[in-house]
Amino acid sequence: MSSSQIDNLISMLNQIANNNNYKKTDEETAMIVANHVKKFWARSMKANIIKYADSDGSQLSPTIKLALAQL
Amino acid sequence: MINYFDPATNTTSNKPIDFNKDYGTPASTSTQTVCLEIDGVKITVAAGTSVMRAAAIADINIPKLCATDNIEAFGSCRLCAVQIEGMRGYPTSCTTSVKEGMVVSTENNDIAKLRRNIMELYISDHPLDCLTCSSNGDCELQDMAGAVGLREVRYGFDGDNHLDAKIDDSNPYFTFEPSKCITCSRCVRACEEVQGTFALTIEGRGFASKVSAGTSENDFSSSDCVSCGACVQACPTATLMEKSVIDKGQPEHSIITTCAYCGVGCSFKAEMKGEEVIRMVPYKGGKANQGHSCVKGRFAFGYATHKDRVTEPMVRDSIDEEWRVVSWDEALGFAANKIKNIQAKYGRESVGGITSSRCTNEETYLVQKLIRAAFGNNNTDTCARVCHSPTGYGLKATIGESAGTQTFDSVMKSDVVMVIGANPTDAHPVFASQLRKRLRQGAELIVVDPRTIDLLNTAHISANHHLPLKPGTNVAMINAIAHVVMSEGLEDKNFIEQRTDEYNAWREFILDEINSPEAMESITTVNAEQVRIAARAFAKAKNGAIYYGLGVTEHSQGSTMVMGIANLALATGNIGREGVGINPLRGQNNVQGSCDMGSFPQELPGYQHVSDDVLRAKFEKSWGVTLDNEPGFRIPNMFDAAIEGTFKAMYVQGEDILQSDPNTQHVQAALSSLECLIVQDIFLNETALYAHVFLPGSSFLEKDGTFTNAERRINRVRKVMKPLAEFADWEVTQKLSNALGYPMNYQHPSEIMDEIASLVPTFSMVSYKKLDEQGSIQWPCNEEFPDGSPIMHVESFPIGKGRFAITPYLASEDRANKRFPLLLTTGRILSQYNVGAQTRRTANNTWHQEDLLEIHPNDAEERGINDGDWLGISSRAGDTVLKAKVSERMQSGVVFTTFHHPISGANVITTNSSDWATNCPEYKVTAVQVEKVTSPSAWQTRYKKFSAQQKEHFKRSPKKQKATIGS
Repeated sequence: MSSSQIDNLISMLNQIANNNNYKKTDEETAMIVANHVKKFWARSMKANIIKYADSDGSQLSPTIKLALAQL
Repeated sequence: MINYFDPATNTTSNKPIDFNKDYGTPASTSTQTVCLEIDGVKITVAAGTSVMRAAAIADINIPKLCATDNIEAFGSCRLCAVQIEGMRGYPTSCTTSVKEGMVVSTENNDIAKLRRNIMELYISDHPLDCLTCSSNGDCELQDMAGAVGLREVRYGFDGDNHLDAKIDDSNPYFTFEPSKCITCSRCVRACEEVQGTFALTIEGRGFASKVSAGTSENDFSSSDCVSCGACVQACPTATLMEKSVIDKGQPEHSIITTCAYCGVGCSFKAEMKGEEVIRMVPYKGGKANQGHSCVKGRFAFGYATHKDRVTEPMVRDSIDEEWRVVSWDEALGFAANKIKNIQAKYGRESVGGITSSRCTNEETYLVQKLIRAAFGNNNTDTCARVCHSPTGYGLKATIGESAGTQTFDSVMKSDVVMVIGANPTDAHPVFASQLRKRLRQGAELIVVDPRTIDLLNTAHISANHHLPLKPGTNVAMINAIAHVVMSEGLEDKNFIEQRTDEYNAWREFILDEINSPEAMESITTVNAEQVRIAARAFAKAKNGAIYYGLGVTEHSQGSTMVMGIANLALATGNIGREGVGINPLRGQNNVQGSCDMGSFPQELPGYQHVSDDVLRAKFEKSWGVTLDNEPGFRIPNMFDAAIEGTFKAMYVQGEDILQSDPNTQHVQAALSSLECLIVQDIFLNETALYAHVFLPGSSFLEKDGTFTNAERRINRVRKVMKPLAEFADWEVTQKLSNALGYPMNYQHPSEIMDEIASLVPTFSMVSYKKLDEQGSIQWPCNEEFPDGSPIMHVESFPIGKGRFAITPYLASEDRANKRFPLLLTTGRILSQYNVGAQTRRTANNTWHQEDLLEIHPNDAEERGINDGDWLGISSRAGDTVLKAKVSERMQSGVVFTTFHHPISGANVITTNSSDWATNCPEYKVTAVQVEKVTSPSAWQTRYKKFSAQQKEHFKRSPKKQKATIGS
């Protein structure tokens, strides 16, 4: 998986989080992000981002990390 | 009193309408009835019906010339004169309404003499060339001369006349031959009442009066005429006549089918000679169009038999090779082998496909079934990804069903109509005509759009509000409108209490000062007071309806905006009855259908999620396979995975992704990475230039099936000619599936629909039999709604109560800056359709031969740009070159172009930015710079070279094939 592909997935995750964090705690937003990803993302996209989170994860915000932990 | 059956008593009020008959005047909408007697026959009809129509219902056909039943009575020809007891003289039956107890005589010696005299005067200034006239056999003037028994013209033909009037054949599709005109003004009235364009007029007075397109300097093509053809259809003589009929003669049979252009889904009579379509005439019984059409549907069907149609399967191992024409079996075997080998090497998930929103429901259903069952994954998507996927997400989240809530006809009960990010006069012309009719009757119009769309120039309308917002700020605007509704106490408290959930949180959010029009003014650039006035008008309307298009969905907050629209409809109680509702205007003919049929990677047909074990089990049982329980790739994910090297093959039916999808260079890179691209299309489209297998497709004229339009209306598509390439698209998909080892054995599309009905709860009572009986069906059609559902959510929502969604505004990531100071937005024009593959191969090219960049005079002046200059347009994705058109339709800071011609490379500029929930591309906001240039862009030069090379690969192959066959 190239870094540009990972960047793309990260920006998609951030977009989902930013559109769903109005007056919500990080935990609440993370749950929405996780549910969205479960419902709409293909298996390999999930696998790729989890792999990145496990191996590096430096570009992931705390909310996104929380979300990925729920997958 | 005892009533006996009397055959002379003809109770006609319940008689079904014969849509092939002209009743002379429009139907009355009154629910009260009136009894009268015409020629001794007792007739019961709706109050307000004309005597002419009442007689026609009883099959008493009063002669007429200036009357026809899609325009109001005019009473100018006087041929329909009758005698009515108690009334003096000879009233015209078209302009006289029925009254209780009226006694009418339609024929006697006096009336006959009067009519003969009238016809004699008409014919004294009319050429007597009936035998060689193009309307011979289909001429109302000729019929009436016969009906009244005209035997002589005592006036002779030597006096002043119009027989030398010059023919105007400037329109590519029809001629105007004024020597044959009887000045009945049916064309003028059709242009006004049916189309709403007011391009035609009667110029001059008395003997000098004549039909004129625009001013006397204009001909048809230079006038405001939009070539809808309503005038041609209305003309009772050969004055306005299709050139195809002039060339080929009168058609001999007709078949009712559905147009394959936009999401309005007009019904047409395909009028045929053998297997050749002579003309398309909109069908009065079509509930979406009620006898009207636009230039595309009526005239631009010639592409179906264009010489560019590819009618033989072709294969090649690499795109650097020439195409080899092969048999169907060989092509399908080749494709199946490649797919199997790729899956063996790279895994089950390395292949996928795209269903077509131009093909039928049955075909779309089969393609997704092939992907899920034969490929064994959920890598299916459709062009709705790039247009209305946010509608699916947003409406499902708020009102529980991803579809428009109304019929088109519902707009006739609307008091205020809000049109957001849609340009119906160009993209949904027949609906625009109906909307304009309602606006002329007094409904108010609110347009939320960066551009001054033509709808704002509707003649004779009472109140217009234009909120010309900056591209990318829809959510800010809808929140500001809802803020006004809530802060001024204009909400529908009853509706909110009874029909909605999650209201309090939303109320708190929307009342936040950040959402006020004053706070949003700096974002939307629209004056706050203007927003307040429009919001009040909408909220106070008895019936407020919202119509929206891709200007809503194709944004990074597309889904949020759809939810914002639903919030507004819920808060104002504008849902669940006629005249209101949330109405997405769908782009392609079957984009609603392709979504319904399970084209999305996460949903089986009927929006049933793949991860739901119970729902999935139903499909597994029917299809006899185990289905993947995880969503597959969406189109942009397929491209990313292709570039990454894990996605290797695609089956693309009827969709030109290379031209239509954003960031062309990214798509090119993705398609070039594939080891097998199978394209099924009627033309060798742009995507096919990168293909390894080409399977010839069939046009809508060549197959049976159904399309579902924007109002959820399932319409029948009927085969009027044999498929040029032997097989309809559903047959090809079936053969491919069989070659892959997953058996399909449907004999007719009706069997596919039966399978759909067995698996999709909202389709459970849909069948071809019912479609033939009812003409069309609006889903849901099931036990609960056996005849279908014209208006949805009347009692409740599929999710019980409507849910308010919190919709904070976030700026688009692609913001204008110093380097890219302008915002580009893209769209369509009337004469062309989508990527132009169909319309570019018709005379519609007369009106739009190239895509232009529309730029505001201020921006043009700043850059020294004049009309016709070559402009380089660059964005962070790429650059292209287009000609300039200086236009005030745009606001300063915004530029606009269409994407109908591949060489334009409009999508070379658009970026990968997309909707947060669905990845629908943000076509409507691209930050760009524009400057004068002298040569085409590097991309265009490369494109020309590649395209020419590919043409060579295609051109030489068939000759080789002939040699192969011979050997």
